[in-house]
Formats: sequence, structure tokens, C-alpha cells
Amino acid sequence: MSAPLVSVENLSVHYPLGRSLLGRAPVLKALNRVSLDIPRGAFFGLVGESGSGKTTLGRAILRATPITEGRIVFRDGAGEIDLAEMGRARLRAYRREAQLIFQDPYAALNPRMTVRDIIAEPLGIMGLTRTRDETDARVREIAAMCRLNLEHLRRFPHAFSGGQRQRISIARTLVCRPHFIVADEAVAALDVSIQADILNLLKSLQKDMGLTFLFISHDLSVVAHVSDYVAVMYLGTLVEIAPKHALFRKPRHPYTKALLSAIPSLDPDDDRKAQRLSGEIPSPANPPPGCLFHTRCPHATARCRSEIPELGDGGDGVRVACHHWKELST
Amino acid sequence: MAERLISVSDLTVRFRTDEGLVTAVDDVSFDIREGEILGLVGESGSGKSVTAKALMRLNADNAVYDPQSRVMLSMPDGGPLDVLALRRARDMLPVRGGAISMIFQEPMASFAPALTVGHQMVEQLMLHTSMSRKAARALSIEMLDRVGISEPARRFEQYTFEFSGGMRQRAMIAMALSTRPRLLIADEPTTALDVTIQAQVLDLMKDLVREFGMGILFITHDLGVIAQTADRVAVMYLGRLVEMGGVRQVLRNPLHPYTRGLLGALPRLDALDAPLTPVPGDIPGPLERPSGCVFHTRCTEKIGPVCAAEVPAHVMAAPGHGARCLRLDRAREAAR
Repeated sequence: MSAPLVSVENLSVHYPLGRSLLGRAPVLKALNRVSLDIPRGAFFGLVGESGSGKTTLGRAILRATPITEGRIVFRDGAGEIDLAEMGRARLRAYRREAQLIFQDPYAALNPRMTVRDIIAEPLGIMGLTRTRDETDARVREIAAMCRLNLEHLRRFPHAFSGGQRQRISIARTLVCRPHFIVADEAVAALDVSIQADILNLLKSLQKDMGLTFLFISHDLSVVAHVSDYVAVMYLGTLVEIAPKHALFRKPRHPYTKALLSAIPSLDPDDDRKAQRLSGEIPSPANPPPGCLFHTRCPHATARCRSEIPELGDGGDGVRVACHHWKELST
Repeated sequence: MAERLISVSDLTVRFRTDEGLVTAVDDVSFDIREGEILGLVGESGSGKSVTAKALMRLNADNAVYDPQSRVMLSMPDGGPLDVLALRRARDMLPVRGGAISMIFQEPMASFAPALTVGHQMVEQLMLHTSMSRKAARALSIEMLDRVGISEPARRFEQYTFEFSGGMRQRAMIAMALSTRPRLLIADEPTTALDVTIQAQVLDLMKDLVREFGMGILFITHDLGVIAQTADRVAVMYLGRLVEMGGVRQVLRNPLHPYTRGLLGALPRLDALDAPLTPVPGDIPGPLERPSGCVFHTRCTEKIGPVCAAEVPAHVMAAPGHGARCLRLDRAREAAR
């Protein structure tokens, strides 16, 4: 097995909350000591509710937010680089390797540019093509891969529906031939009938172009369908990482179990009320001590309230951060 | 049988725009009874919100209601009231916030940020009931407690920015129900909430229907939410009600190709590796409304040119379960 494309090691991102004259300024721990490996060519799903830090993790890996502590190792053809230590020239090259797909296809496209110019823009910025013909050829090739009608390249974004716009923004993301894509809630703004089409497109691009995806979503059933691996986040930490089938067949962490049972089932007679969580997600500015989930966990003990659980081996390739997962799964 | 609270018939709503009249709701009819949750599902542009707003005449001033459209509301005292025939804002008072309350997707936008939650709850109670300020305050605090907000007396004095998203939605439900409306319109009430909080709010709404015996028109794009809350479902596409029936009938035995398409496009946790089948094509824009059956441009089961020419009637296939599809219509004729 080859080395993972991205390795995140003990990554923390803290944001200062105002200033304090005496003592240390308070910080918001958006991400706290997160470690994970994203295998080359994988579709890696990242789920969590609001405030879980999933977007911050995606942004940190793209070097779009300052890193407080830890390492992010990216392994491209040229070898290993630590993204946290990377200089400007290296960062510029990395921008070509790693790209982002945004949530809102209405806000992501410049209304004054034609579809052709929108898709071609990254090529110009990175100086990847020399002639207009070369640019056009590349734009048409990528537009066809994203199943865009080539007749539409001369039009402006307002003429398109949400699904078509998302295909345009995917084409722009892929035009400089990146290897790694962060898709942050890429289908959240789309209607169900269109969402399936975009998910299928992303999966086929993963296979055809050998792409590695970090797919961030709040929707566990969407993540379940496209991902090979799934990581579950809660309040800035990872609670469970597992191959897809292991996670959905036998979730280890009580939070993962609760998240799965909270998804409204399509079967009107399926009542999974038993696992319902009480209480609300604590504020990341004022997280509880010990296991961050203990305030809502039905199985919390004195140990959970004082000791932070480490992410450990849960069998079947699963890693889980819970003191009691073993007792709970019998 | 439970009393019929509202009866909508032949509702057609168009909007005057610079590009001409745009049809948003086209010939929609349904009833809601006491203690019943009717789920209204549809994608963006299906007209579900315009339909809901028509029940309280809340659509913008450029809305045009067709003359045959009727929204008959049964009032607690006296006979039915035709909401669409009301002209003055004063006449709307017993309807808006009286017989019908509405809750929205974004609770932050529904509360005034500069007034306390309590102030707003008391204000609407005093407007709609003959309650004293003291009694209104007591009832408001009791309602906050009923929807599961801890320390209700302290929360009563707070502003919405001090509430979390789930708490704001609970407070909005408390406020909407404190006037004891006969019908509650809930427009995507849990869409902005996290799943674990959504599950709590849905449980709460089901409990309150049981306790208060009111009817709910529950609007959502999420079929899972419908399955877990609604008694009956109405599916809308491009302003038309394409299928209606009991929640089990519609989800287990969908009649309309669009309903089947929606179910096939949905990722399901019980079939992780099943391929997702998108509904082909895109939703047509408001100015390119298809002729005949509005779904024919995306339908995989259309019968030649007939579907583009003929508007399907609502055909009943089982008691309480029907759809607007020419295939059903033809099958019924053949059976005769």
C-alpha cells in the first residue's frame, strides 16, 4: 500500500477571541489535536454538525487558514512537503495541486464572466497555457468531462440552474488538473433530483482522473453513499474514523450512533427514538472538560468528565475516541 | 371523523412580473383535518411556499389569485370563511396569528432582534386574545417550558441572539402555539437545524399536535422528515400537486413518475451501495413552463406526444391516494 496523499498530525487551529490586558487572551479551539490520513485516490468523507470544525480542517489542509500547531504532510510526485512550513513559491505550486469546490454555486461564479472565461481563469492565473487555442482546447475538454453542453460556454452563469452551475464550478476546479479536491458541502444547496447527478459526477471524476477527495458534509446519508472512508467530528475533535461499511454497520462511538439514529428514516414505521440525544452542542469557545461529548452522552461516567479519550484502535480498521466503546458494543 | 379545518380548492396563483404573468401554483386542492399533519414536499420552485402563504394571503402584492380559487377556513365561532375574499388587513386579524399560525425556516429572521423574546410573545397574545399582560406573561413562560426550554422565566427576559438555533426554533413554536391556533403552517421548520436538534424538534411538534389537536401543514424538501412526521403527503412539482395520499401509500407505492424519481435519487442508509438515479434533465425555469403535464420534459415514462398536449386530471388509484398522470388516466379508461 502506498503512503497516504495527505497526513494530518496533531493539527490544532485556534482563533483568538478579542484581547485581554491581563493574562492570556481567550481562544476558540476550532480544531484540537486532529490526526488523520487520507489515502491516495480515496473519497474521504468528513461529517459533523455545525461548529464541529469540519470546514476549518478542510481550509487548514488547503492552507487557507493559519495553523496553530501540528503538521500536514502532502505527498506529491516530488516527495513529501509539510504544508505548515511551506514557503511562498511552494505554496503557489500547491495551489495547483489542491482545489476547493464551494457550497453555493450561485455565489461562486462571477455573473459578468462567460462560462468559458470562468473555467479558463485558473489557467491564466497559473500560466498553464500559452495560446488562446490551447486554453480553448483545455476548457472544452474539461467541460465535456463535466457533462456541460459546449454550446453553453459563451453564455453567462445567470442562464443556468443550480445543478448546471455546480457543474461549471467543478469544471473550473479541475481545469488545472489538481490531484486533491476539498468539496465543502458541494451538494447541500442542490435539490434532491439534481444532487444525485452531481454526486455521480464526482464519483466518476474520482475514478477517471484518479482524484483524491475530502468530501465535507453535514448529511450522513450523502456521505455514506459516496465515501470510501468516513471521519466523524464533534466540537473540533475526531471521534471516529472508519471504512464506510464498518462505520455504518457497526458504529463504535456513542455520538456516531446518535447521529445515525437522528437521520429521519424513509420508513414511516421505523421509530429509532431510543437513541435520541438530549441537550445542545456546547459552545466551542467554552468546551466541557474531559471527553467533549460527555455533556450529551447517555453513557458518560466520572472518567469521561475528567479524562480526554485518545483516538485508538477499534478493530476492523476503525479508530475511535471513547473510553467505553468496547463495553458499549457488546 | 375529525373536523375539516381548511379546504383549499382550485387554487391558482400567478405573479405579475416584468416578463409577464408567471404561474407559481396551478389548480391545487387539498383539505386538512383536526389533529392531522399534511406534508407538502417539493423541490425549489415547486410552489409549496406560495401555496402555504396563500392560506393566510401573505403573498406579495403582485400575486394574482384566479377567480375560482377558494381557501375556506372553518372558524371556531360560526361558519367557514373564504380567506381569499377578505380585502382589508383588519379582516385578516382573526386569520393571521388567530386561526392560523406560521413558523419559518430561519427563526432569527422571525424575531425582532432589539426586543426580548418575552416582549414579543406577550405582544402577540395581547393582540389576539383578551388576556391581561400578567396572564399573557404567565402563559408565555409556561409555553417556553412546554417546548423544553430550561429556566423559562430567565429566557423570557433574553434576546434572540442569546439563544442557540434549536432554542430559537423552540421559542418560535412556543410563540406560534400560545394563541392556540387551529392550524399551524410550518415552512421548512427544521431545515436550518443540525440533525440531532432536528430530531428533538420533530418529536416536540408531534407531541404538541397530539396534545392540542390542531392541524399542521408541514412544508419540507426532505422525504425522510415527511416519513417521520406526516399522516398524509402531497407532492408538488412546478406548481402542480402531482400526487397525494397517506404517507405509507405514497412512500411505499408511489404512483407518479416524479415521486418515484425523487425516491430513486435519495441516498438511503439501508442500501449504501445502491446507485443513485438522478431525475434526468433540469427543473425548467419559471418562464419556460412546459405544456400539458408539467413533468413531461423530464419524465422517463411519458406516452409520446400526448403528455405534452394534455393536462392530466387527478385520478384516484386507491381510497385517499391519487395522482395526476396520464398513464393512470389511460389505465383507468382501459379498465372500464
